[in-house]
Amino acid sequence: MNYIGHGGKEIVERIMPREQAVEAIKGLTEVTIRGQIAREVIDIAYGFFTPLEGFMTRADVEGVCNEMKLANGVLWPIPIVFDISDEEIKEKNIKEGDKLLLKYQDKPMAILEVEEIFTYDKKEMAKKVYGTDEEKHPGVARTYNYKDKFIGGKVTLVNEPVMNPPFDQFFFTPKQLRQKFAEKGWQRIVAHQTRNVPHTGHEWLMKGAWLSAHGELPVEKTVTGILVNAIIGEKRKGDYIDEAIVLCHDVLRKAGYFREDVHMTSIALWDMRYAGPKEAVFHAILRTNLGLTHHMFGRDHAGVGTYYDPYDAHRIFDRIPEGALNIKPVRVLEWWYCPVCGEVTYSGLCGHKDKAQGFSGTLIRSIIQDGVKPPRLIFRPEVFDLIMECAEKYGFGSPFVTDRYLKERQDIFTLPDLK
Amino acid sequence: MSITINIWINEERYEKLQKAGLANMAQEVLAGLKVIKVPVTEEQKDKILKVFPTAKYDSATTKSIELLPREVKDKIFDMVIEKQSLEIMDEFLKSY
Repeated sequence: MNYIGHGGKEIVERIMPREQAVEAIKGLTEVTIRGQIAREVIDIAYGFFTPLEGFMTRADVEGVCNEMKLANGVLWPIPIVFDISDEEIKEKNIKEGDKLLLKYQDKPMAILEVEEIFTYDKKEMAKKVYGTDEEKHPGVARTYNYKDKFIGGKVTLVNEPVMNPPFDQFFFTPKQLRQKFAEKGWQRIVAHQTRNVPHTGHEWLMKGAWLSAHGELPVEKTVTGILVNAIIGEKRKGDYIDEAIVLCHDVLRKAGYFREDVHMTSIALWDMRYAGPKEAVFHAILRTNLGLTHHMFGRDHAGVGTYYDPYDAHRIFDRIPEGALNIKPVRVLEWWYCPVCGEVTYSGLCGHKDKAQGFSGTLIRSIIQDGVKPPRLIFRPEVFDLIMECAEKYGFGSPFVTDRYLKERQDIFTLPDLK
Repeated sequence: MSITINIWINEERYEKLQKAGLANMAQEVLAGLKVIKVPVTEEQKDKILKVFPTAKYDSATTKSIELLPREVKDKIFDMVIEKQSLEIMDEFLKSY
C-alpha cells in the first residue's frame, strides 16, 4: 500500500496507545481548545495535513505567508496555527520545552509539545494569505480573532474521537481511504469538494470531472472513481445542515445517478478560510493526502464576495512548480440549464448562451425555502425528499442551520473517557 | 441584466395569482419552475441586504436576491397581488 502523501512524505499517524496515554498525560498543564483547533488536531494526527506533524512554528508561518512554502520547502498556502492568549501563558507558566494536554469536550484529547512560543503580525498574515486586510473577509476575521501568541510544536492524539451517526459512515483517515480505493480497484480518483446539498449542476460537474480524469484508461473495468469530500467545520446560519449535505450526496449513488462502483462519499474536518486560489491549493494538498489523483475545481472555488476572480483558483495551478503537487487539477466551467437543448449542459459546449438559465446552490436553497419542489432535471426528487427527512431528524424542522441547530445539534464526534 | 427578487410559485401562490387574474405574470424557468421576478434597483438591493441579513445577492449566476425569509417573500407576493404590479419595492420598503 502506498502511504506517500504531500511533499513526498509518508503519512504518519501520531496517535499514542491508550494505556501509554493514560500515564503520559499525568501532571501535564491543561489547555482547553475550541472546535477549530480540535478539528485541526485530528487532521494533523491522522495525516490529513501531511507533512505537518504539529502546529506551525514561526519559520513555517513566515514561509507560508511570503513564499507559500513551509520552512522545509514543501508547498503550503495557509497557516495552521495554535493561538493562545498572553494571560493563559502567564497564568499557566507555559514555556518552550513544556508539554501541554489539550482538552476538548472536557476530555483529554492530545499532547502539544511547546517547541516555540511566538508572535506574528496578524494584519500581515491576513494580507499575505487572503490578499486583503478587510475584516469582512471571513478568513481575515478569523485571523484577527486569533489570540496574541502562537505555539508551534508537534501534536500527538491521546484519545481518538468517535464519530457520531450519520458521520461515522463517512469518516475515513487517509490510510483507511487508500485501503478503500485499493479494494475498489480505483487507479484514478477525482475529488469533488463540497459544502452543499447537490443539485444537478453539481452532479454533472462530477460526471464531467470523472470523464476528464478517466481519459485514456480502458473502459471494460471501473478503474476511476469520484470521491465526494464534504467539508465539515464551523457552520453559519442559513447553511445547509451537515447531515443533509453528506446524506444527500450519498443518496445520488444509492438512487442510481452514479453507479455503486464509481462513487463514494466522505468527510474532511476543516473550517473554511475562503482563501480562493490559496484555499484551492490547500484543498489539493488535503486530497493528495487522501490518496486522490485528480481534483475538480469549478467557478469561484472557495471564494467569497468579489475578493477573487472566478477563475483565480484555476490559474494559481499554472504558477506551481512542477513536482510540487502530486495531484492534477481538473478545471471546469459551470453547467447551466438550456431550454433549447432541453437539458442541463456544459457552458463550455452549449451555443445558446443568450437563452441559458444559470442556477446556483443559493438559488436552489431559495426555491426550497419558498416551499417549492424543483423539477427533477434541476434537483433530484430523492435528494429533495431526503433534505426534508434530514430537516425533521437533525435540523429541528429546518434543512438550514438555525440558532437552535447551532446550540443543540449533536457533535460530529465525541471524545470518550480516557481511563 | 437587472436585479430581481425571485418569488418561486408554489401551488398556494399560483392559486392566488390565478384568482387575481395574474397567472400570466409567472414565467417558466429551469425546466418547469414558475417564478415571478420582482425588479429591484441597486439602492433597494443595498437596503434589503441591510434590513434582512440572511438574504444574499447572487451576483455571479442569477443577479437575484435570494434567501429572503419566507414570510418576507409572502408579504412581497401579497403586495404584488394587491397592486396588480411588479413595481412595488419602493412602497414595500417604506415600512423598513
